[in-house]
Amino acid sequence: MLSLWVAFITGLTTGGLSCMAVQGGLLASSLASQIEKEVGDQEFKSKRKKLLRKKSPQIALPIVLFLFAKLVAYTLMGALLGALGSVLQLTPAMRAILQFAIAIFMIGNALRMLNVHPIFRFFTFEPPASLTRFIRRKAKNNTSLFTPLLLGVLTVLIPCGITQTMMAAAIATGSPLLGAALMFAFTLGTSPVFFILSYFATKLGTLLEKQLVRVVAVVLLVLGLLSVDTGLNLLGSPISITRVLQRNNEATASQTLLPPSQTGSEGEGVINLNVVNSGYEPSLLHAPADTAITLNLITNNTQSCSRAFVIPELNLNKLLPTTGVEVLNIPPQPAGKVIGFTCSMGMYTGEIIFDL
Amino acid sequence: MKSVTIDVKDMHCINCAMKLQVLEDDLPGVITVDASYRNQCMTVIYDDSLVNLNQILGAVKDLGYSPELTQ
Repeated sequence: MLSLWVAFITGLTTGGLSCMAVQGGLLASSLASQIEKEVGDQEFKSKRKKLLRKKSPQIALPIVLFLFAKLVAYTLMGALLGALGSVLQLTPAMRAILQFAIAIFMIGNALRMLNVHPIFRFFTFEPPASLTRFIRRKAKNNTSLFTPLLLGVLTVLIPCGITQTMMAAAIATGSPLLGAALMFAFTLGTSPVFFILSYFATKLGTLLEKQLVRVVAVVLLVLGLLSVDTGLNLLGSPISITRVLQRNNEATASQTLLPPSQTGSEGEGVINLNVVNSGYEPSLLHAPADTAITLNLITNNTQSCSRAFVIPELNLNKLLPTTGVEVLNIPPQPAGKVIGFTCSMGMYTGEIIFDL
Repeated sequence: MKSVTIDVKDMHCINCAMKLQVLEDDLPGVITVDASYRNQCMTVIYDDSLVNLNQILGAVKDLGYSPELTQ
């Protein structure tokens, strides 16, 4: 069994960054509402012409609440996984739909904050008056803190690749207590990186004062577009931003006359692909058409979510070992065919072109 | 017991709606406030023997908003 210390250290190092990339959008949404409120309060106070000392938005508390809710939610999930001992694996297509839903939520919210059209007000979660009344009377003055708590819990719906690995380990424990302890140790480990990155990133933003809401809206918009891109990658779509950029890089690389050995071809029908922490090398592979292909996936101390390898079009899905070689057999493909591959979160991508 | 719907066109987030709902705790005679950021309005149910409409509109103004009576 994976020890609790290993889980904690994994969270502290790679897990925090990986989770931030995937779940940062939710945290940004939660901070956005807090910042919006603070800026709104300041505007309101200045309307009343009161002498005020400048105050930066209180973002530490919502971040802590977000992380706390996340910790509790994942610990409970660890207990559930340990108890069930069975996988609740989402298929790439289901994850893609989830990514699109998150993207629509983020883009809609960004457009709402930018006051583009009243229709975008429907993108905000407006709790019923009875619920806010209940929370208000339970915890005076802190109604807005409900949002980071809720969003922290919602992160269980979008685990990053490393978290998914930990979830698999939690299932393997076969015990609710050990499963919970494992997920607790890992999520606790991710928290410091999460806190530091989001705290300082937002503190920098406070310098912009009134423009801050707009800045947050633009960040949300970009994160939303990235989510769309991730969803497209998970569906194996050839038209995602990542893939277009990769093709441009490839075009530049060809101009600089890359030696054939770097194109990834290793003899007839056998292709080697290095799976590294930053993605796949090379990201564009050339393969012979109308021939069955053996794809060797080589990992060497690889910790990132690139390990969760997916070819959506062929419905191939493999979690690679940290170090080792996994072999995938790809059936013959017609000349000119392009097949995309990606990590399970759609963050790292590449393509195999059958043109040899 | 009376009910009134008031347009508040300068609510810019759901926290504004929550802030207006606090009137049901802070203004004696107000029974419930159902404020909606989406619809930019609030519906107030109040006891007209304890509080009148002008006092409610004044309280909304004090919170920094511009209330308008719905036609």
